[in-house]
Amino acid sequence: MLETLGLYPQWYVPVIGSAWVMGIIGTIHVLASHTSVGASWLFALIETKAVRENKPELMDYIKKYGLFLLVFSYIIGSITGPGIWYSVTVASPRGISGLIHNFVWVWATEWVFFFVEVIGVYALVYLIGKVDRRTHLKLTWSFAVASWATMILIVPILSFMMWPGNERWYETGSTLDAAFNLNYFAHLGVRTAFMFAIAGAVGGILAATMKNREVRVEITRFLSKMGLAGLFLGVVMWMWYVQTLPENARIIMETQMGPKYGKFLGGVLLAVLLYFLWTAWKPLQLRQGAAVAMTLVIGLFGLWPEERSRESIRKPYVAGQYIYSNQLISRDVPGKGVRSDLPLIESSGVLATHLFVPDELRKITPENQLRAGEFLTKTLCANCHGIEPDAVLRPLPALFGHSDEPRMIKAYLDGALYHGKVPYMPRLPLPEQEREAMAAYIASLSGGLSPLALAVHEPRTEGAH
Amino acid sequence: MDVATTANLLQVLRDPTGVPSHPLIFQVLMVFTWIPHIVFVNLTLGSALLALVAFNRRNHPDWARLSEAMTKVAKVGVSLLVVLGVAPLLFTQTIYDPQWYASNVLSAAWVIGFIFTLIIGYLAWFTFYFKNHGEHAPNWAGWLGGFGLVMFLLDGFIMHVLAFQGLLPDQWASWFAPGGQVDMSGTGIHAWQAGRFGFYLAMSATVFGAFLMAYADYFAPRADRPAPYRAFVHQLGARVALAGALAQLGLLALWLLQVPASLGLWAHPMSWLLILYLGVLVALFWRLRASMTGAGYLVLALTVGMAALVAIFREVVRMAYLAPFSYDALDYKVIWDYPTFVMFLLTLLGVGGLMGGFIITTAYKAGRVSGVYEADVVVSRLATGSLASTIVWVVAFIGTGIWIWLRNN
Repeated sequence: MLETLGLYPQWYVPVIGSAWVMGIIGTIHVLASHTSVGASWLFALIETKAVRENKPELMDYIKKYGLFLLVFSYIIGSITGPGIWYSVTVASPRGISGLIHNFVWVWATEWVFFFVEVIGVYALVYLIGKVDRRTHLKLTWSFAVASWATMILIVPILSFMMWPGNERWYETGSTLDAAFNLNYFAHLGVRTAFMFAIAGAVGGILAATMKNREVRVEITRFLSKMGLAGLFLGVVMWMWYVQTLPENARIIMETQMGPKYGKFLGGVLLAVLLYFLWTAWKPLQLRQGAAVAMTLVIGLFGLWPEERSRESIRKPYVAGQYIYSNQLISRDVPGKGVRSDLPLIESSGVLATHLFVPDELRKITPENQLRAGEFLTKTLCANCHGIEPDAVLRPLPALFGHSDEPRMIKAYLDGALYHGKVPYMPRLPLPEQEREAMAAYIASLSGGLSPLALAVHEPRTEGAH
Repeated sequence: MDVATTANLLQVLRDPTGVPSHPLIFQVLMVFTWIPHIVFVNLTLGSALLALVAFNRRNHPDWARLSEAMTKVAKVGVSLLVVLGVAPLLFTQTIYDPQWYASNVLSAAWVIGFIFTLIIGYLAWFTFYFKNHGEHAPNWAGWLGGFGLVMFLLDGFIMHVLAFQGLLPDQWASWFAPGGQVDMSGTGIHAWQAGRFGFYLAMSATVFGAFLMAYADYFAPRADRPAPYRAFVHQLGARVALAGALAQLGLLALWLLQVPASLGLWAHPMSWLLILYLGVLVALFWRLRASMTGAGYLVLALTVGMAALVAIFREVVRMAYLAPFSYDALDYKVIWDYPTFVMFLLTLLGVGGLMGGFIITTAYKAGRVSGVYEADVVVSRLATGSLASTIVWVVAFIGTGIWIWLRNN
């Protein structure tokens, strides 16, 4: 029996691509979950102050913020958490499978913390004033540490997605080698800093409604200090984070992300800095609308570009620099007994070895060339590229200059892509006929030549690249 | 797709990384972590439905009080069923990854729809919760609550479809490319089974009925929950549970009839054990149908036991469906990773036991007293243990991380 690829069926989302679906859900989740973790520390610090200085009125704020969190973080956050998982499952099944099979015990450990965190937040909010203060304070601190532990445990997986940072994991296959990759601590630092900043901003939404003037001033100043600390720590950690990135990521940052988002993110940073300075200086001037606006600014104009950038700079990989975004395994991992898919693709192609290909497309003919090209293009490219000319996700027709000339497109597939010469693109050593089919299909998206033309003009010569 | 090709497909779709502990460990964890998940699913669906029924009778103070209480139960229930669903899903994806991923991708639009409908449904339910106070609560709030419940049921159906489609691997290719035409939209619902889905819905009545009886007994020490109200709830619970257990028996028979006879499930001991257990529950609830108090915790424990049998039966069904394709989760490639396995066990026992134990014990004890609850020695020690366990955990994890990071980089 012919050796076969372990590829799943493909889910294709027109115009925005499955990557944006993941990105939208991911951004909502990061906003909600980081707010929750940051708020847990805010609660612990404020409650400590309330107990030490005998200021029970401060607990009113915790109750208010806690109830808000139940809706904001523990509905939206706890559903979009598994939601990210679900969206990645359908957009990148082999990517998430690779992560789960490497990190299942890390994830299971995180689940223990997640569970105590969820029951903890209900207990924390509803037991205010119903259990003695010392017991409640221990509960709040337990909740804060457990919440941060969920972050400590998810960041190994997120940072491994970027890269292991050294060769050791490929040789040992050890989960701890994968978890404590080069990128880990810097990434944890960035997220920890961000959680303080976002909790400071969201906290303002509730602080602005406090009736007690003294409490309002005290809490708002506290939030400002926490936000400023998060902001400064975040900048320092970001500078470290960049130093721990792989070369392909730095190239994409410098050539694509920097020009696209650099000034924008700088502006958001400045706006957040001014906001916290202002609320520290004039706490009573803070209005709920301003805090809501600041939260939205951070979410829409800070977090969305940041999450998109993090996803983009990882290209062409989705996990550990061994799984491409298009689900192909790009290299051997001896420590896990994993073998690269590329030799099989080079020798037999995708259509003959992908078990979900309908029989009619297994062998390319002039009649089915466009359909075969469409299948290949959607399977191998659509995780990162839109197919429609007006797609928002790196549209292929636009990237080929809306060329309707199959030979021009095929030249790229034959050269740079076949040999893996573009840092942020996968190496795709497809057989001649499959490259022809893809080129014909991509050209047809811009109204190109009929699919037969290519076959007529350019006789197939295996290995002629 | 023929049997041999399907068997090959299932093997090549397995993750080449293998699993980091013996598959039996994952299988046992998958089955047993599913029990609390389904119990909270049942509890949520049951309490949501009763909250709405009681809302429509809120002119009577007992019904109004019950509606408010059950609205809260459903609210907390959704949170917990989500968090408790993560573990069985994780372990399913570890040893049944081909089945879960293929099924999900083939209905991808529904998978994404699940997330947003659950959020919208939950927000609707929260709004109902905020408005459902006393007999003057507005009617529109009830409609919103009804919408929330419909969303929850839709989400339950989506989960059922995803689980069931995974059992039919020989049909996946034809769903992906019906008639040779490739469909990458993920908009199809390709297979579902009325008996199986109905059985889980009926189970909600049984589990929830038993919960109502336990709820009535739990509040016995509270003066603000008068005895007539508790008796009313207790009796209602017994009747709901009786109806649920009877319906479960009927729907289990339908489920078994809908499973291909060649799989031989009628002859499997687990099928008969489950039928027998349900029969005992029916007899028990029949005896208790007029009872006003007592036995609440016992029947709740017995229904959790029933959920455990269902969890095992569900795995038996899965294994039977996959056996013709020679798929056995236990022959998954194993590359042991002992450190993280030990980390999970220690965290489960240490943090889960101490912090989880602390929170549940405190909430239980505080709920039974009016006014402020002063922690006793046990709760006080649990509180200290809870905090200590989380701090020790963080120090140990970060410390190990620094050592490995410095060694490797």
